[in-house]
Amino acid sequence: MRLALSLLTMLAATTPAAVSQSPDRLLTIGGSVTEIVHALGEGERLVGRDTTSTYPPQVQALPDVGYMRALSPEGVLSVRPDLVIAEDGAGPPEAIDVVRKAGIAYVPVPDATDRAGIIDKILTIGAALGDESDAEALAASVDADLRATEAKAAAIPPERRKRVLFVLSNQGGRIMAGGANTAAEGIIRLAGGVNAVDGFDGYKPLTDEAITRAAPDLILMMARSGDHAPAEADLLTHPAIATTPAAATGALVRMDGLYLLGFGPRTAQAAADLAAMLYGGTE
Amino acid sequence: MTVTLDTGAPRITDRRSRARQVQFWLIALLVAVSILSLGQGASGISLVGAVSDLVQGRSIAPLDRIVLLDIRLPRLAMGIAVGASLAVSGALMQGLFRNPLADPGLVGISAGAGLGAIAAIVLGGALPGAVATLAGHHLVAVAAFLGGWISTLVLYRVATRAGRTSVATMLLAGIALAALSGAASGVLVYMADDQQLRDLTFWGMGSLAGATWGKVAAAAPIMLAALATAPFLARGLNGLALGEATAGHIGIQVQRVKALTILAVTGATGAAVAVSGGIGFIGIVVPHLLRLATGPDHETLLPNAALLGASLLIAADMISRTLIAPAELPIGIVTALLGAPVFLWILLRQRALVDL
Amino acid sequence: MLEARDIRVRLGRRTVLDGVDMTAAPGEVTAIVGPNGSGKTTLLRALCGDVPYEGRVLLNDRDRRSYAPAALAAVRAVLPQASALAFPFTVIEIVRLGLRAGLSAADDDLPLQALAEVGLAGHANRFYQELSGGEQQRVQLARVLTQVWWPVAKDGPRWLLLDEPVSNLDIGHQMQVMRLMRRYADAGGGVIAVMHDLNLTVMIADKVVLVNRGRILGAGPVSQVFTDANLGAAYGYPCHANRIPEGGRFFLLPHGKEPA
Repeated sequence: MRLALSLLTMLAATTPAAVSQSPDRLLTIGGSVTEIVHALGEGERLVGRDTTSTYPPQVQALPDVGYMRALSPEGVLSVRPDLVIAEDGAGPPEAIDVVRKAGIAYVPVPDATDRAGIIDKILTIGAALGDESDAEALAASVDADLRATEAKAAAIPPERRKRVLFVLSNQGGRIMAGGANTAAEGIIRLAGGVNAVDGFDGYKPLTDEAITRAAPDLILMMARSGDHAPAEADLLTHPAIATTPAAATGALVRMDGLYLLGFGPRTAQAAADLAAMLYGGTE
Repeated sequence: MTVTLDTGAPRITDRRSRARQVQFWLIALLVAVSILSLGQGASGISLVGAVSDLVQGRSIAPLDRIVLLDIRLPRLAMGIAVGASLAVSGALMQGLFRNPLADPGLVGISAGAGLGAIAAIVLGGALPGAVATLAGHHLVAVAAFLGGWISTLVLYRVATRAGRTSVATMLLAGIALAALSGAASGVLVYMADDQQLRDLTFWGMGSLAGATWGKVAAAAPIMLAALATAPFLARGLNGLALGEATAGHIGIQVQRVKALTILAVTGATGAAVAVSGGIGFIGIVVPHLLRLATGPDHETLLPNAALLGASLLIAADMISRTLIAPAELPIGIVTALLGAPVFLWILLRQRALVDL
Repeated sequence: MLEARDIRVRLGRRTVLDGVDMTAAPGEVTAIVGPNGSGKTTLLRALCGDVPYEGRVLLNDRDRRSYAPAALAAVRAVLPQASALAFPFTVIEIVRLGLRAGLSAADDDLPLQALAEVGLAGHANRFYQELSGGEQQRVQLARVLTQVWWPVAKDGPRWLLLDEPVSNLDIGHQMQVMRLMRRYADAGGGVIAVMHDLNLTVMIADKVVLVNRGRILGAGPVSQVFTDANLGAAYGYPCHANRIPEGGRFFLLPHGKEPA
């Protein structure tokens, strides 16, 4: 029932420029959008992607129109898309305006940090592609997986929940951690863990005391963090980190950024992987 | 070269005639680069194709029209205005401070504009809804413009006493103000989330990608008005090279020249930085190259700087748009990659003549 | 006429000029002389308006302060003691700066003639910074001449205010510049020059103003001002004014075999 309601609202919210016939040339902006398009079987229609779209591997061969928040208007037009599906936050606004003005259908997809959000994404994209039935099927399967993961997470008694600290970067001793309302916290919750830090939103630098107080059991990081990929030894010997239970057991886990935080079709799997690392095997 | 007085024999050919020749070639260069720029782009649409369509009475395909008229042409217009503004502002600053290394940053514009932009990016969400919708996507540009003006005004007041502006005081106070702005920016950067940090970084590297006719209509008149005052400042800046006392003796109103120069630079650079972010090196390299080629006379230096600055920026923009197409390289990177080695080469070649 | 009335100049807590009166007439060369630190350069700077002063300076019967900058530049030109240059201008570019807005800057006749007057006609396209100190001073003089080329105009005489115009020059060029000053005065212009060397002063000046410790010790014709008493009082060293047998001109030498 909730699924149907979501579907209806999504259809209603789609921009009037939604395509009537199936678009042949697709441009996707945002890693999870690209993944979902592939999962719906429409991968061959892709003619371009953005820098954050890295999965599945074959999309890397597609032309890259740039970082999603700094798109080149002519670059977008140069791949001659019929439809652009973009994650929230794509920009700059002037580039989006030009795309719309050129008569190219533009469908924004809302951001997600939980199960309901992922379902919305899938349905929105499905509607834009005119592929509602496939989308419903995918959504249902993803939903089922996620619910199963959530159930496992709920089954863990609160006192046994592991504390996880997500470290975005370690720049010269300054640790950037994920707080509330982040994809990091979302995935930690899904895996049945607890965000070791609270009291702030977004990704912020932490003081040494806050790190010690956080006392994480596991430190989670992205496998490819661009300019700030610290050596793991560096991190574990950081004076504050060294005091944590995670450092004592060497519990530092790296996962691919898009896989872990993309909130797309593979999220259930990612949450399961993380849960396995937290609680071991079949818990 | 022969010298004769009034016997009708040929006069001395000096740098002025060479400067006029250079000006002619710079105009030709600008026209050529502009046409080239209109014809280049990630989408592969060519100007020749569009023109031949027109000539043969066919209408241009809608996509072509959008690319040419809504993407490339406003970008060209913006590039000309910004490039000219940055180069002329650099020349004006160097004349005012009587130092070939001066740049508009010395009057605090960059510090203030940067702080304005960072504040808009980080704090923009906290603004009351009415203000936010009024400014729309232009919040950052407006904030940067205001920031530049406010910091210049503060510096001007600090450095001006009894109707006389001390450029030395302005320089020193500018350093202090830049440090203060840096600290304030640091606080804002600390408060910024991941997305805002990326936006900040891209703003700092500069781009003409957001050029729309709306922005051109808002910013270009300010830049052009500021540039239009430059010819009136030329003689004054020439005189200042002999020192403020002598400039006064030859009839130059020194304080007025200083105030107008600061005003022109703030207007031109403020508007340029507001719409295109941080683009460096044009203000230093262009005037320097021209001084080496045709001398420091501001009567020829200023218009030639406008022409060369515009051409260089458009060329840099072409590179940034096509090098990693369909993605785009921030233009500040291109100007730095081109400008820094050229600057070093100039310094090494001309060690004898550069004397601070 | 150029008149200074009751000029007082204070720099910091020091009173550099303490109620100074002087006049200079067109058609004459008026020299301002005095020991180091006497205030002679400050007096010239007050006449130019470069230092704040109390009192009045009248230029062609008008208060100097009432002139607009462009009008003032049309009436008097100033040669500073030294000139720094921030950019590599050429000689002709600097002399052209003397051209006032009204005159066409495209017309190089005046600047070239001025350069010829100071003996630098062939140097028009050389870089100023490469010249010797004396040559640079002569370029500045050419610029100054360009500014007030005609010694007399409709609304009165033109004035040259020169700060040590011959101090850096060799004898030949010293004579050349002094002849120039003489010709300008003879043509009806006014010339006021701060002079360092007393013997050169005697050769060129119609009137002398002797400044000592912020006050005027004497003003008038050379024979009246350059008395042994005045010179001794001003320079703190016995000086005797001698006459050259033929022509009766003065020359001044300190007396005594060694410094006292």
